[in-house]
Amino acid sequence: MSDGKLGVTWRAMLVAFLLPLVSVWALDLTLGGSVGAGIDSLPRFGNAVLTSYTLGSFLLLGNLFFYADSRQRPLAPLVGMLAAASIGLLTTVVLLNQGDLLMEDNGSVRAQVLYNLVHMFVSAGAILLALGLALGSTFATITAQKARRTILEEEE
Amino acid sequence: MEAMAEAALWFWLPTVLVPFGIWISLSSKDTMGRAFGRCLAFLGLAGLLLSPWTVPSSPSSEAGHLLGFIVGPSALLLVGLYLIAFSGNVPVGRLPKSDRRLGVAATMIGFVWFASMHWWNLTPTLNGEVNRYWLVFLPTFLLLLTCLCSGAALCLRVIGLQRSTEAKVLWFLSGFVFLMLVLAMTIDGHSVDSASFRYHLWLAGSDLLGTAIGLSISILVFGLVIYWHERGLPEPQSVNPPTGKELDFVANIVAANLGGGEDE
Repeated sequence: MSDGKLGVTWRAMLVAFLLPLVSVWALDLTLGGSVGAGIDSLPRFGNAVLTSYTLGSFLLLGNLFFYADSRQRPLAPLVGMLAAASIGLLTTVVLLNQGDLLMEDNGSVRAQVLYNLVHMFVSAGAILLALGLALGSTFATITAQKARRTILEEEE
Repeated sequence: MEAMAEAALWFWLPTVLVPFGIWISLSSKDTMGRAFGRCLAFLGLAGLLLSPWTVPSSPSSEAGHLLGFIVGPSALLLVGLYLIAFSGNVPVGRLPKSDRRLGVAATMIGFVWFASMHWWNLTPTLNGEVNRYWLVFLPTFLLLLTCLCSGAALCLRVIGLQRSTEAKVLWFLSGFVFLMLVLAMTIDGHSVDSASFRYHLWLAGSDLLGTAIGLSISILVFGLVIYWHERGLPEPQSVNPPTGKELDFVANIVAANLGGGEDE
């Protein structure tokens, strides 16, 4: 596949992925009820970015132990990744302390941090289940078809 | 015991045990270690499921309550798809044809169960109110599922060879889930009205976008940390070229392993 065609394919796949999302939002705007949620969406978006970054960094920090196994256990990348994860945690706490910027319906910074964590677990559960079902459905539809026979042309 | 300490013991400790147990189970090389990891993960899961009873005062225990509600239909859907997939045309590990019917039945029951949790009186409610994490889970799940099925359909159509039938099935699935979303957005459910569902759909979209961006940044940082470390490493020491004696030794080994019988 040429580079140009590959680029078009990726763009088409991205559009196919985003099409239902855009359609749902367009429909919602047509129904006219939830535009107000856009204001509440901003703190949610910010909290999701910070929480997923921090949790992802800690997860990858754990992954670095396997990398260290094959590199005579260097400390530098571990410290670097720990610092990166700590920056995420620190940024979360600092921004949560800035009044209503990222605070949702929780009384304190600690409550908001814990809520963010539990919220992320629930979101991650939904994401993993959706991924499992989409992959399972794709695989099930492929294996449901009749077996194909590949006929190789005999070399002369 | 203080409320915070209770939550730490009965909710957060089991929560940590689940990934920790999975990590031990995956990284252990001996059977004992793997079994220990699985036990830890199972204990953590059981602790999480019991958290609405062990720490009813903690708002976090609502997640354990939701887990108890969704574990049944989720397992049915996943096991059903597994049975359908592996009773089809797979070269190894094929299951009997009868498992296909079982798989279809399990998937249907799982789907109806999930639908009943919104449209019928199976909605996860705690102390007379809808579990707030259910309003996070359902819109996120449906929104992502319809997008993934649509993306997978086009992927099969464009990249796969003669996969248009499979692509059509996935388009249908995506459309079906999309229809469920539209119905939930326009018709009130048993305990969640359509306006509330639409509101939470926006939040779910923000959540998905934020999670994707946050994870991407963490992966980028991880790559940069590895790159900087590898770049700072000294050049490996070069070794002397092989001597004539060593070359002879290697040539003898190669000669002994080359060739073959007349009948081969």
